[in-house]
Amino acid sequence: MSWAVYLGRRLAGAAVTLVLLSCAVFAATAVLPGDAVSAVAGPDASAAERARVRAALGLDRPVAARYADWAYRAVHGDLGTGFVGHRPVADVLAGRLPNSLLLAGLTLALAAPLAVGLGLSAGLRAGRGADRLISTLAQVAAGVPEFVAAALLIAVLSVRLDLLPRVSLVPLGGGPLDAPRGLVLPVLTLAAVGTAVATRLIRVSAADVATSPYVETARLNGVRGVRLALRHVLPNAAGPAVQALTLTTGVLVGGAVVVESVFDYPGIGRELQRAVAARDVPMVQGIATTLVAVMLLILLLGDVCGWLLDPARGEPR
Amino acid sequence: MTGVQAGGERLLAEHTPARPRRRPLPLLAAAGASFVVAVALAGPLLAPYGPAERLGLPFQAPGGAHPLGTDLLGRDVLSRVLWGGRVIVLTGVGATLAAGAVGMAAGVLAGLAPRHTGDLVLRLVDALTVLPALLLMLVLAAGFPGSDLAVVAAVALATTPFSVRVLRAATRRVAATGYAETAYARGDGRWAVLVHDILPNIAGPALVDTALRLVASVHLTATAGFLGLGRGAPAPNWGRMVNENLPGASLSAAAFLAPTSLLVLLSVCVGLLADRAAGVVSGEGR
Repeated sequence: MSWAVYLGRRLAGAAVTLVLLSCAVFAATAVLPGDAVSAVAGPDASAAERARVRAALGLDRPVAARYADWAYRAVHGDLGTGFVGHRPVADVLAGRLPNSLLLAGLTLALAAPLAVGLGLSAGLRAGRGADRLISTLAQVAAGVPEFVAAALLIAVLSVRLDLLPRVSLVPLGGGPLDAPRGLVLPVLTLAAVGTAVATRLIRVSAADVATSPYVETARLNGVRGVRLALRHVLPNAAGPAVQALTLTTGVLVGGAVVVESVFDYPGIGRELQRAVAARDVPMVQGIATTLVAVMLLILLLGDVCGWLLDPARGEPR
Repeated sequence: MTGVQAGGERLLAEHTPARPRRRPLPLLAAAGASFVVAVALAGPLLAPYGPAERLGLPFQAPGGAHPLGTDLLGRDVLSRVLWGGRVIVLTGVGATLAAGAVGMAAGVLAGLAPRHTGDLVLRLVDALTVLPALLLMLVLAAGFPGSDLAVVAAVALATTPFSVRVLRAATRRVAATGYAETAYARGDGRWAVLVHDILPNIAGPALVDTALRLVASVHLTATAGFLGLGRGAPAPNWGRMVNENLPGASLSAAAFLAPTSLLVLLSVCVGLLADRAAGVVSGEGR
């Protein structure tokens, strides 16, 4: 199969998934009982007042029509306006998404080499003491909630040692890079979780490769240690490792919502959490759909990289 | 999908034999988890004050009448810790059971169904797997503000797709072996084959899957509390306590460290038990 066909298929699949999930997000926020009317009109509004607000927001129309309308505009770049503060959703995204991408990028820069190193060294010694230790630690660390890890880091590095600020205060009109000390704790927290998750995934693919016949042959020919890892295992485990790292981004997107809230970091996750608390329906729909689209794109990139890196690629799965 | 579950299906398929050894760690983990669950369930009976009573100045350091100090509204931290675990444990376990029932039914049926139907189920499941668990939870919570039940449903929904995948794969493996074929040839009905041949043989993967799901559920439930989802403000909840008391970290660290430590103990112990379960089931020495 040519790469064009492969890419075309994958793009089509991602597009279908995006449509499905945006439907689900829309349905969850638009159909469920806690709708926007009470959020906008207030809990004590009269029936007439509620009806007026409902009509003004266009919520008296059928859900399918509302979704079609929303999707049509979204495709043309208009994600609507938030109920709270009347900010255009696209403006909020443009302002906050780069900050979150910065956080994710720094996290990946720290977590990826760590996870590859730990995953490879565990996978190559599958079943032995070092593997058991790394696997168990990673399993346990992956289960600790992000905010709990953040609280522990704050307790030690911020309260006890007074080394780092507890919140990521960003100067007015500046970005997170203008106050780099505020980035350290969020990045450390996310990297801890990301490393744990990715290590387990990479370990599995490394262990697969390490027990394969050609690596066994290389071993029998006297190739060992770093040379074995770099020349024989890594090229074959690189594809799955990249896919593992992209799978981790899903976990990081969720983690970012929490970590941004803990440290009051001006990212898209904190904006989403605020929109949920305020029941700002267009904002939740816009942000959630955008996050899903970003994730699908990253997963797609991971799949394509994994395919390109696979030395035995012939038939893409 | 949650981070804990990611890669778990491979964890199951793999065999990593090791020398059998005596392991004190799983025992310690079981003791730790039991301790936290006991505190959570029996805590309200032992609490010296009510969870919402304002008793003094905010963020008092530990000592005197308040062994763990007071929180941001001057409430007794010890009492709130004793009251605030119930919702975490009950929600976590409730979501694990609900997701287990749905995942088991859907996974086994999809495994036994004709190929096309099974593949269709898998496609739907894969679409859901892409959605970060937390995003799912936030969106659902936006629809049902202030409801603990919505949190249970969201956590269950976030952890189910993975179970369906794992159990479908396990069912297909069993169905492809001789047992099921032989039983059908003997003239056993579908139900009998399901009960006598399929279910006993997927019990191992199902157990590990449940353990991983419990870890993920505790993780998500605590996070939901931290983000203020579920029952509203005066209700005590370890997750929310961390959120409420972090701003006063420099005045009284005990106010956020007490719930934090219990959550660490719970998630680490449950994580160790899940890891052990995977080890036993994948054929490692007992």
